[in-house]
Amino acid sequence: MRLIFSSLLALTLLSAPGAFAAFASERIIIVTHSDNTGVRLSREQIRNLFMGASVGRDLQPVALPPGSRTRSLFNIKIVGLSDSRVQSYWAQMKFTGRRPPPQIVNSEEAMVQYLLNTPSSIGYLTADTDLPEDLVIIYATD
Amino acid sequence: MIKIPGVAAVVSALLLSAEACYAEKLTDNLEISGFARVIGGYLSHSSRRFDGYTNEVSLDEQSLLAVQPSYSFNDKLSVSSQFVAHTSDDRDSGLEWAYLSYQPSSAWHFRAGKLRTPFFIYSDGYDVGYSYPWVTAPVQVYNNYLFSNFNGASASYYHAGNSLALNLEAYYGYFKGDLFLAGTKVDVETEVEDLAGIVATINRNNLSLRMSYHQAHNTTEIPNVSELRSQLYALGYNDSAKSLESSGNVYALQTSLSYDTLNSFYKAEWVNIVTGYEIAPEITGYYLMAGRVINDWTLHATYSRSEYSAVKMSNELPMPPTGNPQQDMLSTAYYQVFASTPNGNLDSYTLGTRWDFRMNMALKAEITLLEESRSRSGFFMSPSSNDSTENAYLYQVAWEWIF
Repeated sequence: MRLIFSSLLALTLLSAPGAFAAFASERIIIVTHSDNTGVRLSREQIRNLFMGASVGRDLQPVALPPGSRTRSLFNIKIVGLSDSRVQSYWAQMKFTGRRPPPQIVNSEEAMVQYLLNTPSSIGYLTADTDLPEDLVIIYATD
Repeated sequence: MIKIPGVAAVVSALLLSAEACYAEKLTDNLEISGFARVIGGYLSHSSRRFDGYTNEVSLDEQSLLAVQPSYSFNDKLSVSSQFVAHTSDDRDSGLEWAYLSYQPSSAWHFRAGKLRTPFFIYSDGYDVGYSYPWVTAPVQVYNNYLFSNFNGASASYYHAGNSLALNLEAYYGYFKGDLFLAGTKVDVETEVEDLAGIVATINRNNLSLRMSYHQAHNTTEIPNVSELRSQLYALGYNDSAKSLESSGNVYALQTSLSYDTLNSFYKAEWVNIVTGYEIAPEITGYYLMAGRVINDWTLHATYSRSEYSAVKMSNELPMPPTGNPQQDMLSTAYYQVFASTPNGNLDSYTLGTRWDFRMNMALKAEITLLEESRSRSGFFMSPSSNDSTENAYLYQVAWEWIF
């Protein structure tokens, strides 16, 4: 029992090993159609939207597939969880019938096309993406 | 009811389709997804059974395979169902839930049909092992849930403001079927009417608070107890007879707080179940958990406890021996009912690890020290009633898969 208590303490006190440091320098932009130019969302609202909550407008989140590097960056910088924890979350939502996960597109090129064709959608891309005129950035990470 | 021959069926199904990674869209409208778990466990106790486990390695207690077909008529209307094949005899295999879902906007979600009961955080997703870090979610909270599904309807509302996200869910329905007490199927049918509950979840940054309240009217007739009760009424022992009533209201209250960061997570959940009849004691269960995430690895530690209140039995019947054999038999039967009702405490300490080795698969291992601090916690099953306090280690490994 003592062993378990000290392990619990060790788990809590262990300093962050910098597991995700490699990603730190890359930036993510949150992008939507220029029809939604007036839309302002905080990081928290974007997080909630991509975790299945409504933000009062019918904006449909679009995600990249699990395993994609940009998806990992988005999960780390906006959602604040590792890929596997986000996967666990969606497994819970889906298999309890509560909320379906966001629509998934297969690549960043497909994301750009999808956002152009579906003005009510919102997605994420790496900051160095060449954006067509009809897409606008509504949030950028540091 | 489908009974599958055992874990072999689950394993072969897994191996056959292990290459199919994600949900399969058969047509634009029909999607098939699912999950599976293979769990092995061993209990270090020579004579007791805990959650189905004994001192022989078993793969058949919690392993399962679930398939979830879902058909969308359009963006707003769909039907979903879930079929689960359990390897354990304590759980019924077959249709776990099936309902019609209507989402008029992203803020509202209505469901009607056979639904999972959303008592506690993981109640409706208890079978989806992939969604939580443990092999077995704390039994003191999750093995006391009375039933896993109900027939009825639920309404859910979501809103995310600038800094708060809110989800409110209300449901109403009824249930008829097997009753569980401390994780063991009681061989009687129970009838639950006017089942209603409300669940509020509030998220702010990394913090999540869930509070819920559930109530129902429950009737469970245990044949031997009913017979004894009738005899007591007939002989004028009304107080004693009344204390054996097994029909009345049941109330469950739950509160939990979770804090999640990129590298760590903390969770505490507390539940309290009270019944309006004396033969069923009040139970309080809770757990505290902390975990760390290091790349694909998760390490976690949990302390968990359950406490039963004392049952209120009547002292109207004279204690044997009274010189009257018939009287003695009646008294003995009455006091035995209460002597077999759980009224102890169980503490447990769990250390576990999870490795997410693929995007949709995880391996887990955990060790739990189970300690009764007051005898008859209700979790250690034994052939005879016995007032000793038991303790044991439970070792478990698991393979979790979603597709």
